[in-house]
Parts: sequence; structure tokens; C-alpha cells
Amino acid sequence: MGKRSLIIFFIVACFFLGIGSFLYSFATQGGSWAVQPFNGHISGSAASAGAGKILDRNGVVLVESKGGKRVYNSDYDTRCAMLHTVGDTQGFISTGVQYNYKSELSGYNLVTGLFSPTGKNLGSDIHLTLDSKLCRLAREKLGSRNGAAALYNYRTGELLCMVSTPDFDPDSPPKDINTNPAYKGAYFNKVISSTFTPGSIFKLVTSAAAIENIPNLDSRTWNCNGSITINGNRITDVAPYGRLTFRQALAHSSNVAFSQIAIEVGASKMMNEASTMGFGRSFTLGSIHSAASNYSVKSVSEDQLGWSGVGQYTDLVNPYHYLVLMGAIANGGQPLMPYMIKNITTPVGITSKVGTATLGGSLIQSSTAARLKDYMRYNVSHEYGDSLFPGLDVCAKTGTGEVGHGKGPNCWIAGFSSNENTPYAFVVLVEDSSLGSISSAGRIASSLIKAAAGS
Amino acid sequence: MLTTILFILRIIVPFSCIAVAARCFTSMRLGKRRKDPVILLEDTAAHRILPVFYWENSIGRSRSSDIVLHDQTVSRSHAVLMRRESGWFVSDTNSKAGTLVNGRKVKERAPVFPGDVINMGATELTLRRVESPEIDPFRPVYRRAASPFSLMWSVFIIQILLAVQVIFAKGNPDFNAALPLGLLMLTEWILYLYSITIRGQVSFELETLAFLLCGIGITLISGVSVKDAFMQLVAIVLGIIFYRMMIWFLGDMDRVTRWRVKIGVLAILMFAGNLLLAKSRNGSKNWISLGPVSIQPSELIKVAFIIVGTSTLDRLQTYKNLTGFIGFSAICMGALFLMKDFGTACIFFMAFIIIAFMRSGSIRTVFLACAVAVFGAFLILKIKPYVAQRFEVWHHVWQHTSDSGYQQVRVLSYSASGGLFGVGAGHGCLENVFASTSDLAFGMMCEELGIILAITVVVILAFLALYARSEATRSRSTLYSIAACAAGGILIFQACLNVFGSTDILPLTGVTLPFISQGGTSMISVWGLLAFLKASDERTYAVRRQRN
Repeated sequence: MGKRSLIIFFIVACFFLGIGSFLYSFATQGGSWAVQPFNGHISGSAASAGAGKILDRNGVVLVESKGGKRVYNSDYDTRCAMLHTVGDTQGFISTGVQYNYKSELSGYNLVTGLFSPTGKNLGSDIHLTLDSKLCRLAREKLGSRNGAAALYNYRTGELLCMVSTPDFDPDSPPKDINTNPAYKGAYFNKVISSTFTPGSIFKLVTSAAAIENIPNLDSRTWNCNGSITINGNRITDVAPYGRLTFRQALAHSSNVAFSQIAIEVGASKMMNEASTMGFGRSFTLGSIHSAASNYSVKSVSEDQLGWSGVGQYTDLVNPYHYLVLMGAIANGGQPLMPYMIKNITTPVGITSKVGTATLGGSLIQSSTAARLKDYMRYNVSHEYGDSLFPGLDVCAKTGTGEVGHGKGPNCWIAGFSSNENTPYAFVVLVEDSSLGSISSAGRIASSLIKAAAGS
Repeated sequence: MLTTILFILRIIVPFSCIAVAARCFTSMRLGKRRKDPVILLEDTAAHRILPVFYWENSIGRSRSSDIVLHDQTVSRSHAVLMRRESGWFVSDTNSKAGTLVNGRKVKERAPVFPGDVINMGATELTLRRVESPEIDPFRPVYRRAASPFSLMWSVFIIQILLAVQVIFAKGNPDFNAALPLGLLMLTEWILYLYSITIRGQVSFELETLAFLLCGIGITLISGVSVKDAFMQLVAIVLGIIFYRMMIWFLGDMDRVTRWRVKIGVLAILMFAGNLLLAKSRNGSKNWISLGPVSIQPSELIKVAFIIVGTSTLDRLQTYKNLTGFIGFSAICMGALFLMKDFGTACIFFMAFIIIAFMRSGSIRTVFLACAVAVFGAFLILKIKPYVAQRFEVWHHVWQHTSDSGYQQVRVLSYSASGGLFGVGAGHGCLENVFASTSDLAFGMMCEELGIILAITVVVILAFLALYARSEATRSRSTLYSIAACAAGGILIFQACLNVFGSTDILPLTGVTLPFISQGGTSMISVWGLLAFLKASDERTYAVRRQRN
């Protein structure tokens, strides 16, 4: 019976194997198991008493727990401006800090779980790199218009401003948020989670492809008579510009020139360049993933390729991707990735996490980046006007993405200050705009970078 | 302040449980007889001394025999030499040449005394006492790591600590909530006094461990519903009565052997009754309502299954084939499939594998049985695709947090919420989920009392199975060792299904966690299973013999 009873060893061994595997998962995934939205220890009214604060870079409290409730900043505009970064109490904004750092805010730890042995606040406080004043300004400048704005320091990686509209007051979410068209997209942080028709800001990609594939680019000229017909499809400019060098074509944002350049470079090289520059890829902001930009010209007609080269056709750009791309151009090809968590401190005052910049993968060859930077600087100094960004040596590109359906275009500006003292990169998008891109997005960017440089 | 005190008490509880469990198991290990020969056989021709170590010893030419005789005229398994209440017996197990005691042919069984000559084929053996007669090998000095009283006292203290958790579960002290736990403690001491003082038992470790686990179960249930806790207490008391009855019943092996067939028939009748009378509840038809109480016959049939399956060594050697038992098992499993109780079917299958392997020693039998089971399972999935749906969510529970994975994700989430020491009895959120105190009892333990205690509880069950194994060679009969291994195997396998099912390591089958989960019939049944473990401990019947 001694040997035959070994079958029991076999069963017990299986049991210990299973228990081992459970304990391993418990130790490694317990945090994510615990912080589920349905968990009564977190989402219940009594439970959120334990959650930590979120503060901006200057120590302004954006949200805290008081009397068993999440209470946001006392200023309405600050609450709304920071909504998409901080997130809402219900957890509908899945890119918010409150959603993504639930485990830290709730104070989950392996030893006591979500339970607080002292009955006191157990959650950690999260300090952000963002400046709530700058965000408030961006929101104020966007006004009633929908759009997105973001600005970061490309030398340190600190994200200073991230705003998306429409927004709502997280202290008292509107009852009609799901039915009122004015709140359409209010749960989305457009900087992170949305993509838009880019219009001419895409010409930066076409330019990079031209720099790398057209040898005598700077000695070439394009005859821009206001329109060109390709395959029976007419591509137009705002005005006839006459004969333009490449630099002038980019500054005037000539569709006539750039559609021809895209066709000359060819679909496969355009796709390669776009893919190198981050199209089709998701970028991360800490643990949050952005939506991927799209550029796809597989088996398209020549006119479609032409349109794609000027940022129309099926082109889509995610604002956060372009912010990182601006950082890459400013930084010589390889971007310092933005981050927004400055640090996380536990209730006993220990700093459990410090945010640091990490170098992202190269998005553009350094020689291409240098030439692109020159062209972008020329855009501002000769076309948009340095008066918008006095003393900041801004390099930028504007865009007007036509969306059709009776809506105004997406007005964009993406760029950065090449001044060593003000190393800021920015992206601003204003949807359904009746003004030009300079008067809409350009002015907002101007206010933001001036305010950032001033503070 | 109260929160902190309760938390500190919750830190003390699991470590005390580990200490008590460790002392119980070491005490059981130390309580074992040393491995000395109990009697000797002398090969008269060769003057060779053959030591006899066990209560039941197979004698034969086969190398797997306990006493190997190198004699071509001896059958492979020729006879069994065994010790019973009244002395030594030899039993011929269908040998070719037959067995003679003092020249008289043995029919079935014959008593042998020291000095008697046993003939098997050409071999002649004489029964001899072990030298140094002052030591009776069957009445060794039992060494103990801890006295039964001190172990019981420790459990009592732990249960007081648990009662404090229950009393302050709602903030203001509510002493009524701890009443079921208090009455359990009273029950424990009554059984202790009965067993130790009246029955004169020397060992009480198994009962102590069972009480420890029952107390934890009652604590969890009290936090949800005091009324349910009282029901659980009643089940425990009935379980203890059943336990004592089982120990009495198992005391006489011949009685068990006589009753085997009757019990088998009764089990099949119970299954038939179940299938006829039961109404479908939560997808399976495993409950019968008898007035105000509902019972789950399959739980009691587990105990019957083991009695039918087990056997003494002489019968094992005589009736080698397993046909009858396989047939009986097939009927049981078939009935469970008709009841759609797949969890219990798995448990019966595991018990079948253990018993079949221990009886035959043939790995081939086990493989064959497993192959048949896999084929059967495959067939069922083909014929009844809705069964497969139950398993579809397995390993995909996080995609089904509000439908088919509802219970599992909540078990995981709330287990993690509890951390190492839990959020406190009655403070859990899992209790609002269906079957929280039965199928999800492991998750509730993790959430409310902490994962250390929860793991301790299931490890205790694992050690009960290991204990059953370690007793296998020391039991008074294979009847006890097979039964104990089957019972231990069922306990740990059931714990596996409960723990791993609710945590998505295995598909969720909905079986109870022994001694912890709420459920009347299942509580009675696990006490019945514990009786097999108790019976396999040779100390259990030792004292009674002393008193006679």
C-alpha cells in the first residue's frame, strides 16, 4: 500500500502547483485585479474616502477626497480644463489619471490590499507635471470651439499642457451628457484618443520624404498656377503663387507643388517615410496609449496619392503623435517622450515613483530633421510672422484639414521653439473653424508658448 | 482605533492557525508506531527469520508481496497473514497449492498462534513472538508534540479572536452575531470530553483541525447571515454525530465487509430517488426538498462510494478483478451526468481512480479509466454543446466581467482587495455575489480574513491527504488505508476544484470547500470522510481494545 498510495502525492503536488500559480498571479497582478470599476471597496461611497490627491506642478490640488466624496478644484475653469488629464469620478474617461493610476490613488498594496488598518487615508498623492494655469489658458482660448491643445518641454519631457474640448464639470456632470450633441466626445481626451484629418501639417512628412528622396530638392522649382489636374481630379491652392522653390512651396503650403512631390516620391516611399515618422503606431504617455495616426496609400490612383501628400485622402493624425514628432524634429530626430506624472508620494511621505523622461525611438534621420527645422523656421519668419512668437525662434507648420459634411475644416498648428531657453513643442487643433489656421490655432499656440516661456 | 485592533487580531489569527496546524500534524507524526517487526515467521527448513511489519501482510512468490517466498510451489499471491482484534489469522487467497496450519487445510481464514506451523507449497513457516517480550509492539509509548488539551485550547482562543471580529463586524458590538460561533465552541468541548474522557481516546488532532476550519467557515457565514450560521452549526453537529457513528461502524472490518453490497444498493437507490424527485436548481438536479430541508444525496453517496470501494487485503488478493466496483462507479457517474452535476462527477472520478489504483496497483487501469473519461467527456461535449459553453469563459473571465465571468472576476478582485490579512468579517463585498459562502468561500476567506489564512486552510486540507497517505502502511487494514487515501484525495481534490475554479485556474464547477463552505449535506459528508482518516490511524481503536 506504501507505493500505491503515492497517487495521493501526485494529487497534492498538482494542488501545490496550482496554489503556487495562484499566489504568483496574486503577487504580480493583484493590483490590477483589485482596482476594477465594479470593486465595492473603491467605487462605493465610503470607499473613495481612502483615495489620494492629484496636484499640478505648482501644488494646486486638482482633486481630493473629502467626506467620502471626490472633490475637484474650487475653480470651475480649472476643473474643466484639467478634466481629461485628471479624469472623472465615474471612470468614463479611460485616459484620465484617476482611471490609470487607480491602484496608486486607492493605496492598493500587497500587504493590506485596499484595506486601511488605521482607517485613515491610504492612497498616494500624485503630482503632475502639468500646469493647471496653462491648461486653463488653453481652454479659455479655445472658448466654445472644440479642439485640443498640448505643449511639452522637449528637453525634459515634462508635459505642461493638455486640454481637450468639449469638457464638463466633473463636480456635477451634466445629466444630458449622453444625449446633448454639445457634449459629443466629452469623454475623449482628443490629444490622446482621437485622430483627425491633418491637412497641410502632413506636408512635413511629404517634405521629409522629398528631402531623403529628391537629390536636388533646393534647386528645384514648381510652377503653381492655382491648380493642377491629375487624373481629371483638380487640386487647388488658395491663390496662384507662380514659380516656387521647395522652401517657398512649404511656406505657402502649396497643394499644387506638394501633390506633385508626393507623386514623384511614390506611394511606397511615402508609406515608408510615414511609418518611420510614427504613422500606424501608438505612442505612450506613461501607461496610457495614444490612438495611431493613419497614412495608407496602397494601390491608390495618382490623384489620390497627390491628395494624400497634402494631408487629405484617408490621412489621419493623432495630436499626441504630432507633439512627439515635433519633439523629435527639435531634438535632432529622436524625441524625449513626454510624461505627466512628476511623482507619487505615499501617505507616510515616501516618494514611491518619480517621473523621468525616456528617450523614444528615432522618428526621423538627424540630417532630415535639421533641414526640416530650417524650413519650419522659414515658415514662421517669412510667412506666419515672428510677431506671433516674439523672441522664441519658433519653427512650425500650419494645416487646414477639410472634413466635408458641411463642417468647417480642422485648423492645426504644430511646432516648437528652437530657442534653448524655451524648449517647448506644441500642437493645437481647432475643429470646425471658420477662421484660418493662423488666426485660430496659431493664436492659441502663440498664447500658450508665450505663457509657458513667461512662467 | 477599533479598526486597528481588529486588524491586529486578524494578523494574529492566521499565524496561530499555522502554529496549531503544525503542532497537530507533528503530533500525528510522532504518534506513529516505530517501524519494528510486530511478529516473526521462521522458515523452518532454512532457519531464516522473516520479520512481519504490518497488520495485514501478503505472502507469496510475487516480488510485490510483503513477505516474499522464493519457492516455485508457492503462488504469486498465496496467502495473507493478518492481525485482528482476537489475534493472528492466516487467510488463503485462492492459492494453487493451498495453505495448511498445523497440517489442517485453511478454508478462508484460520487463527494462528505463536509456535503454529504454516505450510505453503514446499515452504514451512513457524509463527514466533518478537524477542524482548516486555515491549508489546502494538502498544507503543505514543510520543506527542502537544497534548490534545493544549491544541483544543489554542483553537478555542483562535475562535474567540474570530468571534471578536464577528461581534464588531457592524461597528457596534452585536453579541448575538457571535452566538453560532460560541455554540460551536461548546460543541467542540463536549465532543472533546466525550472522546477523551468517556471513550478514552488518545488522539484528537483530526477533530481539532476540523473544528478550526469549521470555526472559520461559521465566522464567514455569520458576517452574512446569523440565521445561516445557525443552520451551519446544526449541520456541523449532525456531521459530528455521523462522524462518531462512522468510527463505530468502521471499527469492525467484518461488519463493513458484510454491509458493503447493501450500502452500494442503497447508494444507487438514492441516486435513482434523486433523479426522480429533484427539481432543477441553478442548472443541476442535485437537490431533493424534504419539507423545509433540502438535501444533496450525492454528498452522502461519496461516503458510501468509499465503503463500497475499499476492502481488506485478504479479499483484495482473493477477488482481484474490479468489475463490480467499475460497474458501480459507472452507475454513479452516469447518474451525476444526468443530474448535470459535473463538479461532483469529477470528484467521484478522482475517488474511483484512487481506489482503483490502490486496489490493483496497475497504472494501466488508471490510464484506461482516464482514457475512457476523456472519451466520455469528448462525447458529451459533442452531443450536448451547451455543456461546452460553461467552459468557454475559462481563462477569458476578464472579457466577461458582467456575464459568465461575473463570479470569478469578483473573487479575484475581492481576494486582492483583502491583502494578506483581509478587510474584516462582514466587511467584504463578495458576500453580495451569488454562492459567496459556498462555491466562492475561498474568495470570501481571502477578502475578509486575508490570503494567509485562506492558504493555510487549504494547505491543512492538503496535509490531511498527505496524512492519509502516510498512514497507508500503518493502518490496521488495507480497508482503512484505501478508504483514508480516497477520503483524503476527495478532500484535497474538492479543495482544488473550489479554489482553482473560483480563481479561473480551472473552469468553475461549483463545488464546496470542505469544512468551510455553507451547506448542510456537504458538511455532514466531509465529517464522514474525516472518519475514514480517523479509522486509518491505528491509535483510534487501540484504546478501545485496551478497555475491553
